[in-house]
Amino acid sequence: MRFTKLLFIIFIFSFGTRLSAQTWVVPDDQKAITAPFKFTPEMQKQGEQIYLKNCQSCHGLPGKDNWVKLTPPPGDLAKEKAQIQTDGELFYRITAGKVPMPEFRNIIAEDDRWWLIAYIRSFNPKYIQPNPVAKAAFAGRTVTLAMEYSDPMKKIVVTATEQLKDGKTGPAASVEIMLFVKRYFGKMQVGDIKTTNTSGKAFFEFPADLPGNQEGYVDVSATVNDPKNAMKTTPAQANFAIGVPTLKPGLTETRAWWSTRGKAPVWILLTYTLSVIIVWGFILYIVYSILKIRKLSNG
Amino acid sequence: MTMDDNKLTFDKITSDLTHHIRINKGFLIWMGFLTISLLICLYAYSLQLSKGLGVAGIRDYVTWGMYLANFVFFVAASLIGMLISAVLGLIGMKWLTPITRIAETIAVAFAAVAGLVIVSDMGRPERLAYVFLYGRPQSPILWDVTVITTYFVLSLLLLFLPLIADMAIIHRKVSTLPSWLKPVYKVLSLNFTDHPEQNKIINRAIRILLILLIPAALSIHTVTSWLFAVTSRAGWDSTIFGPYFVSGAFVAGSAAVIIAMFFFRKNYKLQDYLTDMHFNNMGKVLATVSLVYLYFNINEFLVPGYKLKRADAVHLHELFVGKDAILFWIVQIGGLILPILFMLFRRFRKPLPIMLISIAVLMAAWVKRYLIVVPTQEHPFLPIQHVPQNFVHYSPTLIETLISIAPFILVLIIITLISKFFPVIPLHETAREKGIEHIKFD
Amino acid sequence: MEDKNTPHAPNESETQKNSSRRDFLKNLGLAGVGVATGAAALYSGHIFEAKKDVSGDQKVLLTQDGKLVQVDSLEIKALEKTGVALHEVEGREGIPGRRWVMVTDLSKCRNARKCINVCQDAHQLRPEQYHMNTLQMQDTPATAPYNMPKNCQHCDNPPCVAVCPVDATYKRPDGVVLIDNERCIGCRFCMAACPYSARIFNWIEPKDAANYQGQDYNVELNVPQKVGTISKCLFSADRLREGKLPYCVEACPNGVYYFGDENEDAVTNGTTKETVRLSKLLRDNGGYQLMPELGTKPRVYYLPPKNRLFPFEEATDATPEKV
Repeated sequence: MRFTKLLFIIFIFSFGTRLSAQTWVVPDDQKAITAPFKFTPEMQKQGEQIYLKNCQSCHGLPGKDNWVKLTPPPGDLAKEKAQIQTDGELFYRITAGKVPMPEFRNIIAEDDRWWLIAYIRSFNPKYIQPNPVAKAAFAGRTVTLAMEYSDPMKKIVVTATEQLKDGKTGPAASVEIMLFVKRYFGKMQVGDIKTTNTSGKAFFEFPADLPGNQEGYVDVSATVNDPKNAMKTTPAQANFAIGVPTLKPGLTETRAWWSTRGKAPVWILLTYTLSVIIVWGFILYIVYSILKIRKLSNG
Repeated sequence: MTMDDNKLTFDKITSDLTHHIRINKGFLIWMGFLTISLLICLYAYSLQLSKGLGVAGIRDYVTWGMYLANFVFFVAASLIGMLISAVLGLIGMKWLTPITRIAETIAVAFAAVAGLVIVSDMGRPERLAYVFLYGRPQSPILWDVTVITTYFVLSLLLLFLPLIADMAIIHRKVSTLPSWLKPVYKVLSLNFTDHPEQNKIINRAIRILLILLIPAALSIHTVTSWLFAVTSRAGWDSTIFGPYFVSGAFVAGSAAVIIAMFFFRKNYKLQDYLTDMHFNNMGKVLATVSLVYLYFNINEFLVPGYKLKRADAVHLHELFVGKDAILFWIVQIGGLILPILFMLFRRFRKPLPIMLISIAVLMAAWVKRYLIVVPTQEHPFLPIQHVPQNFVHYSPTLIETLISIAPFILVLIIITLISKFFPVIPLHETAREKGIEHIKFD
Repeated sequence: MEDKNTPHAPNESETQKNSSRRDFLKNLGLAGVGVATGAAALYSGHIFEAKKDVSGDQKVLLTQDGKLVQVDSLEIKALEKTGVALHEVEGREGIPGRRWVMVTDLSKCRNARKCINVCQDAHQLRPEQYHMNTLQMQDTPATAPYNMPKNCQHCDNPPCVAVCPVDATYKRPDGVVLIDNERCIGCRFCMAACPYSARIFNWIEPKDAANYQGQDYNVELNVPQKVGTISKCLFSADRLREGKLPYCVEACPNGVYYFGDENEDAVTNGTTKETVRLSKLLRDNGGYQLMPELGTKPRVYYLPPKNRLFPFEEATDATPEKV
C-alpha cells in the first residue's frame, strides 16, 4: 500500500513538473459508455490490425513496454494505468485525442475503435466486459445533404433536409456543414464550417485558385459537423468544373544537364560526338598511314 | 667529316643506346620483386572484389579516398608527355630530343594505369562496360573515360612512330639484340628503309599527333578537375580548378621525368646523351611550372580565404591550422616553395640534387592530390551525425593502401619493360642531329 | 510425335495445360527483354514450319535463373513485361500528372526517430544507413538548437543526377529522384555532388541479404539492396503508387511531415491525416528550403522551428557500431 502511495505521489509530482502532461479529464457521461456489442476473438483480431497501423508507432506492442519516449509518455496499454480505465474512457481518449495523440474520430470508424478496445483488453486477463448496452433507438435528427453549384452566385449550395416527426421531410436548419475537396492522400477542407439557414441551405465560396483536374473538375463532398454523434447524417458528393484546369507537364520535359541521355542538351550531344569523331578520325588516319609504311620500302 | 668518321660515330651511338637491350640478372631480380609485390596487391584487390569497397576506409561521407587521389595523381603525371613532346617540341627546342621518349613512356604508363586505378574505385567494376553502353554525355565521367582513352592512344602512337626507324636500324645492325626480340623488331619496324615517302608519312603523322595531343592532354586533366569542380562542395567549387590541376600536373610530370632521366642515365650509362645540360634545363622547366602552380595555389586559397564563406572557412581552417595543417604545410613549403627557391641556383640543378628535389616534389604532388580529394568531404554542408566514428574521419586501411600501391608497381613494370627492350633515347633522331644524314639500310 | 498434317482444335485439358505452361513461363520472372527477344526469334523462325497447336518440336531454353527447360516451340511467346522489367518501366515513368512535395515542420520534431526506423526497415538498411536522418542543428551560437529531419531533397535541378555517367540515378516526371541499382556502377560521383549528404552506399553486403535472395528488384523500393551500389530516399515511390503516404510521413508520432502533390496544391499530414493547402501552409508559416542559394530547387520544404512543441534535448541514442 505504501508503495502505491509513493507511486501516486511521484505520479502527481511528475504531473506538476511536466508542462505538457496536464490532466486529461474524461467527462463522466463518457466514462459510463460501454461497447454496443460483446467482444469476440474475431474483433480482437481485427482490432490488432488497426492497432498495428495506427497505435503501434507510439505505444509499441502491448505488454512489450517498447513505447516511444515521448512527452507525455504514451505508455504500454497492457499496463495497469491503461487497463484501470473504463471502456468508455478508452473510447473517449481514442476518439477525441489530445496533442500529441491524434484525434481518431475521423480516421478510425466507430465500430473499429471498439474493436481496438477489444484488442487492448485481450491483454488483461482480469477484464470482464460490462454488459453491452445496445444503442438506444435513435432520437436525434436524421439529416441528408445535397449539393449543387450555383453559377450566378459562384457558390456551392449545400442543402440539408431532415426527417420530421410526422414522417415528412423538410429543410434542416442550424446544421453545421463542412465542405471537402478530394486530394491524392485525403480530403481537404474548403473554407470554414457553415451553418444552414432556415431553408436548410449553406453557401460555400469555392476558392478561385484551387487546382482541379485537366478540365478543372474537382470532387467535392459535404458532411455534417457532428462531433457528438448526435445525428444520423448522409453526406453529399459531387463533381464540379470549378477548379483551375491543371495540366502541368512532367518535370523532365526540358533538356538539361541532369536529363537522361536521350534528353541531353543538343549542343552537348553535338560537341561530344563531333569531338570524338574528329579526333578518332585522325587517329584512324594515322593508323592507316602507318600500315602504308610497310608497302613503301626501298626495293 | 669523312664517311668513315660518320660510320664510326653512328656505330658508337647505336651501341651506346642499345647495349642495355638484353636480359641480365639485375633486370630479372627487379622484375621479380615488382611481380611479387604486384601479386600481393592483387590479392588485396581480390578481397575487395569479394567483400565490396567496405574493405577500404572510405565511407558515406568521405566516399572518395586514396583511390581517387591516386587517379588524379596518375592522370597528372601522364600529362608530361604532352608538355615535353608537344608544347616544347613544337616550339623547336632541340635539346629535348633525348628526353622525348622518356616523357612519352611515362605518359603511356601513367595514362594506361590511370584507367585501371579508376576501376579499383568502382563499387561494381564488372559494370565498366555500362559507361560505354549507357554513357551520358552530360557526365564528366564519360568525358574523362573518353579523353583518357584518346590520350593513351595518342601517346602510344607518339611513342611508337619514332621507334619505327630505330627498330629498323637495330634489328639490322645490332648483333647484341636478343634473338627472340629480332622478329618482334622486324614486324614492328614495318619494313622501314628510310624511304623518303616513309619518312614523310611518319613526320606528318607525328605532327598531327603533336597538335592533337595538346587539346587531348589539356582535356584529360581539366575534365579530371571537373569531377570536383562541377560540385558545389567547399574546396572543390572553384573556377580555376582546370588550370590549377593542369599546372600541378606539369610539376608532377616534370619531376617524374627528371627522376627517370637520372636512373636511366646511371643504369644504362647514358651520360653522353643525358648531360648536365639536360638536367639543368629540366630543372628550369620544373622551376617554371612550379612557379605557375604556386601562382594558382595563391589564387585558390587567397580568394576564398578573403571572403571566408561559411563552408570555405571550415575547409580552410582545417587545412591551415586544423587537422590537415601539418600535411598541408609540408606539401606547400617542402614540395613547392623550397624546391622553387633551390632550383633558382644552378648548383641545385645538377643531376643528383635536382633528382632529390624531384622526389620531394613528386611525393608532395601525391599528398597534394590527397589533400584536394579528402578534406572537402570531411566537412559537408550539413553536420555528420548519428554515424560510426569511422564515417566521420577517413583513415585508409591496409588493404586499401596495398590496392593503392598496385598502380605504382604497374607503372614501374611498364616503364621498365619499355625502357629495357627499346632504346631510351631516340636513335634515328639523335643520329640525324649528330649530322648523319643518310643511314644505309642493307 | 503427332501427325504433322492433322490440325486439330485444342481440347479443354490441353488448353489448361497450355495456360499453365504459359503461367510457368511467366512465373520464371523473366526480365522480359533478353529472353523475350531470343524467344521471339525462335518463335518466328519456326512459325512457318508448323501451323498447329502442338508442333511436337521441343525447344530447350535457358531461364533467367539458369535452369534449362524444355518447351514446345509454339508455347514460346514474346512475354509481356513482368517483374523487374515492369518495375523498371513504371519506375522510370513515375505517376502521371503529379509533382510530389514534402513539408517538414521543424517546430514539431522532437527526434523520436520513428521515421528513421520505419524507413530502415522498409528499405533493408542497417542502423548507420540513413535515407532519412534527424540532425541536431544550431545555425549560430546565439540561436537555439533544433532537430531537423533530413532526407533526399528530390531537387528539380539535381546535381547528383547531372553527374551520373550511366543514367542509373534519374529524375522522374513526378519529381522523385530514384536510383536503379541494376545499373549503378558504384562510382559515387552522385554522393560527392550532393550538397545535402543524402546518399548512402552499400559498402558491404546489405543487411540480411540472404533473406532477400531471389526477390525481384523493385526500383521504387530499392530492395533488394545491392553491394557496391548507391541507395537513397525514394519518397517511398512504391507507396505513392498505392495512394499511401511515405513510410516516414505515416510513422511520425508528432505530426512533423506533410506530403502531397504540388499540382493539387495540397499536402496531407502523416500523423493527423489532415489535408491542407500547400501554398497557404508555406505562406503562413514562413516555409523555406535548404540551401536554396545552390540552385538545386528542392522538393522538400521546411517550416521554421518556431514555437516548438517540445524542448530540445541532446540526442541520446547510441551511435551505430563501426562498420
